[in-house]
Amino acid sequence: MNHADTIEMETPAAPTTNQIHLPLGILGFEQIKNYALLANPAEKPFAWLRVTENASLAFVVIDPFVILPNYQPDIPQSDVDFLELKVAGDALMLGIVTVHGQSRATMNLKGPIVINRHTHTGKQVIIANAGDYSVQHPLPLAEVAV
Amino acid sequence: MLILSRKLGESIVIDGNIRVKIMRVDGDVVKIGIEAPASVPVHRQEVYEEIQRSNQEAMTKQTLPLPKLAGATAKPATKLDGKSDMI
Repeated sequence: MNHADTIEMETPAAPTTNQIHLPLGILGFEQIKNYALLANPAEKPFAWLRVTENASLAFVVIDPFVILPNYQPDIPQSDVDFLELKVAGDALMLGIVTVHGQSRATMNLKGPIVINRHTHTGKQVIIANAGDYSVQHPLPLAEVAV
Repeated sequence: MLILSRKLGESIVIDGNIRVKIMRVDGDVVKIGIEAPASVPVHRQEVYEEIQRSNQEAMTKQTLPLPKLAGATAKPATKLDGKSDMI
């Protein structure tokens, strides 16, 4: 193994953290504006959007395109402007997951969280084509071993 | 709350550039046409309430064990084509 290989090696257990600012909060949680986005490789493709001021509270989130590659959220122009998105690649999309139990989980496709990757500012966006999608889109879960 | 009476086909104008027109009245159903700039989001109130309820249900304690996705290993997470590697 040469030196370059050593540098590029990943440490699989190390979670990555990013501070996310949601100036308007999340619908129903308007007062909570600061979150940490934590991705633990062992839990992928799920990640956590944890409340900075209260580490015991969090949302489970997922890249909606992992579940639905042809998801086509129409982000209103006012939100594009608010988030200062210049190109599609500026946006990180997260679907909020509701875990109803080990055998049922859903994600919200009407109101994804859209984050500007460069400014780390985000907003829960009600997509213009919300009528085409569900707030409780079922996730395909592995059978739970009995 | 400002309350206005309108007849079929009549409109109201908000802020000079949003026009709300009564298109049809059929029993207790009123069809409303809305002309607004693309920068003004217009949604049914139920959508807000639905998302708010869903958020409240989704907010959780972080100790929750996550379920496993079916065939999670079969489809690698899509890499969004941004520059920074957030997740």
